[in-house]
Amino acid sequence: MEMTDPAAERFAQSMLAELPLVEAPESVWRGIEARLDAGERPRPAPVFRWPRWAFAIAAIFAIVAAIFWRASQRGWIDTGHSSQTIAIGQIGTVTIAPGTRLRVVADRPEEHRLALQHGEIHARITAPPRLFFVDTASGTAIDLGCEYTLTADDRGAGELHVTRGWVAFVWQGRESLTPAGAMVRTRPVSGPGIPYFEDASSELKRAVDGRLDVNAALGAARPRDTLTLWHLLQRVSDTDRAPVYDRIATLAPLPASIDREKVLRLDPEALKLLKEELAWTW
Amino acid sequence: MMRSILAFLAFAAFANAQAFSFRIGAPVASQDFQFKSAAFVFRTEGCAGVEKLKITAAAVGRVNGERRSMDLHVAASSSHPGVFAVAQQWPQEGNWVVSLKGECGDKIAGAIVPLNRQGFIRESAKFFSRAAKDSEIDAALKDLAKKEEPK
Repeated sequence: MEMTDPAAERFAQSMLAELPLVEAPESVWRGIEARLDAGERPRPAPVFRWPRWAFAIAAIFAIVAAIFWRASQRGWIDTGHSSQTIAIGQIGTVTIAPGTRLRVVADRPEEHRLALQHGEIHARITAPPRLFFVDTASGTAIDLGCEYTLTADDRGAGELHVTRGWVAFVWQGRESLTPAGAMVRTRPVSGPGIPYFEDASSELKRAVDGRLDVNAALGAARPRDTLTLWHLLQRVSDTDRAPVYDRIATLAPLPASIDREKVLRLDPEALKLLKEELAWTW
Repeated sequence: MMRSILAFLAFAAFANAQAFSFRIGAPVASQDFQFKSAAFVFRTEGCAGVEKLKITAAAVGRVNGERRSMDLHVAASSSHPGVFAVAQQWPQEGNWVVSLKGECGDKIAGAIVPLNRQGFIRESAKFFSRAAKDSEIDAALKDLAKKEEPK
C-alpha cells in the first residue's frame, strides 16, 4: 500500500527506528542454503484442481437435467384469462375454462389422457368407452361415452357434472358411476363421493355430501335416487346395509334374479346385476 | 268339480304369466355406449325369445298448430339383446311424443313417451297392452303442450 501522507511516513520511519534489530538464528540460514543447493524450488501452497472428466460429467448432468425439466414443462396448458378448446385425437373435444392448468399425458389412439391440476374442463367425447381419461389429485374420470364438466382445485377437491352419457370416477378401488343429470363431488383424501341427481332434494344431498346420514338419505330418496342408494350400499357398515337394500327394493321393485343376500355381502356380480336393473329407474 | 279346478288352475297360470310390455329408461340403462346420445332407450318384458319380437316407432307432434308424424328408426343393442334405442329424428320445434308398438307372437304392447328439451318425461309416459290409439296420442300431445307453455 502506498503511503501518500508524508506525516504518516515520517511516523512510521520513527517507529521503525525505535524497534530493536534482531538477527535470524544461524539454523534458519543453513536450512535455506541447503535447500538452494539441492535445487529445490519453493513449493506453492496446494491448490485443488477439478479433473477434466468431472467437468464433463457435470456438463452432461446439467444438460440431462435441463432436458428433463423441459420435458416436464412440455404439454402443460395454462389458460390464464381466456378459455381454450383442444381436440382429443379424433374422438372429441375438451373446452378448458379460464384459470385452468392441465397437461396432456397421453395422446394415442388407444388412450387419451389429461392431468387436471386445477380449474375446469368440459369434455365432449364420441368414442367407445375407456379411451379418454382425466386424472386429478382425487381420482380419475373415465369416459364411458359422454359429455361432462369436471372441476378441481390444487388439492384435488372438485365436482363432476355429467350432461350426456355416463362417467366412472375411480380412486384407489373406490368407484362412482355418474349418469347424465347427476353429479358427484371429489375429495383429495377420500376420492369420489356418492353421486346424486341434480334434481334430488336438498335433504338427500346434505345426507350424502357431508357427514353421512344414512337414515336421512333413505327418508329423502325417490325412485330415481336409487342411484345414490346403490352407491350407499358399498359405503355403509354391514349393519346399515340391509335397511339401504330394503329401501331400494321398496322404491324400485326388483326381479327375483336379484339375490338380496349376495348383495348384502357385496358380491360383485350381484351388485352389477342390481345396478343394471336399477339403471332403468335413473 | 274337477273341471272347475282345472279352469281355475288355467286361469291362475294365465294371470301369473308376465304381461308383454315396454320399459323405458335413460341411455345409461342400456349399458351400451352407442346409445349415449339416444332420446331414450327401452326394453320389452314378457316376450320369451327376442327373435319373435317386432318393434315399430313413430314420432307424432304439433308444430305451429299442425299435426305431423314420422316413422322412426329403432336401433337394437348389439351387446344387450332386447334393449333398443330411439334417437331424436324429429325437429326441435314443437311438442312431440313417441308412440311405440311391439308384437311378440300374438301379444301386443304399446307406449306413448312424451319428450321435451331435457329428454323423455318418464312420469307422463303411458303403457298399454295394445297399440296406442290416435286419440290417446292426441291427448298426450295436448297435455304436453300445457306443461310446456311458458309460465
